[in-house]
Amino acid sequence: MNLFAATIRDGAIKGVKTAAMLLKIVLPIYAAVVIIKYSPIMPFLQDLFFPAMKFFHLPGNGIVPLITGFFTDEYTTIAVMSTFDFTTAEITTIAMFVLVAHSIPVESAIAQKIGMSAAKFAVFRILSAIAVGLLVGWIGGMLG
Amino acid sequence: MSAPFDVIFREIVSGGMSTALNMLKILIPLMIIVEILMVYNVMEKVADKLQFLAGALGMQKQSIFPLLVGVVMGVTYGAGTLIEINRKMPIPKKDYALIGIFMFICHGIIETGFIFAVAGAEIFTITVGRLVIAFLVTAAAARLPVFRKMSEKTEEN
Repeated sequence: MNLFAATIRDGAIKGVKTAAMLLKIVLPIYAAVVIIKYSPIMPFLQDLFFPAMKFFHLPGNGIVPLITGFFTDEYTTIAVMSTFDFTTAEITTIAMFVLVAHSIPVESAIAQKIGMSAAKFAVFRILSAIAVGLLVGWIGGMLG
Repeated sequence: MSAPFDVIFREIVSGGMSTALNMLKILIPLMIIVEILMVYNVMEKVADKLQFLAGALGMQKQSIFPLLVGVVMGVTYGAGTLIEINRKMPIPKKDYALIGIFMFICHGIIETGFIFAVAGAEIFTITVGRLVIAFLVTAAAARLPVFRKMSEKTEEN
């Protein structure tokens, strides 16, 4: 087999393996979020975070993908996001927020590995995510 | 519960299945692209062309390659490359911190661009927007006294 074909085969195998690894984490969380969505916890969360989400031009339940993304990763966030009906502007705001601050436990560990303070970087990323979320939410609010 | 149990159950099963399919649809082509980029040393070649950015970001030239790998492919790859390059050509402590700032604001743009575009986000905002924000923050940080002071020391590891 030539190098190009071998490269494609190896890539495909890695893709399937990565998907399998991620799904083991994503699927249980997805199921839990669907249950939470229909439980009395959801209205409570919405009321609690509605004032804060307003600044990002997000509905109250926007907090659910944000928190999920913070502790897990982008894939779980998307799975969770798909259980709600968000507009394009809202999805973009959530995406920007989560893309800046996600997988904090895992990525702080990586930050530490290359010699940075894990705590400092976690704080830095949360603050940047809030700033970016405010900016994108504000722009989205003006356009939408 | 605000919905009957069978509705919830059906949503979990169908949603879970479409999540699994979406992931395979994204991850297989993505990993093929990453593999091609690695095997044909594409990153190194692009990094050579982007050397001029080092000045604006307050970094040494050899720091551009690990940064590019992290930004395009993901933090795990970026951190791995950073450690590797540092072994061959020591990277100053200041650059470590600046790469960290850039890379942790904006990484894995191929992967996240793919998945969030499929999920319905504005693709331009989430790729170009993020790059611009990360670039501005890093360039500003490089000019702060805290980072300037670290300048010449190199990381031992």
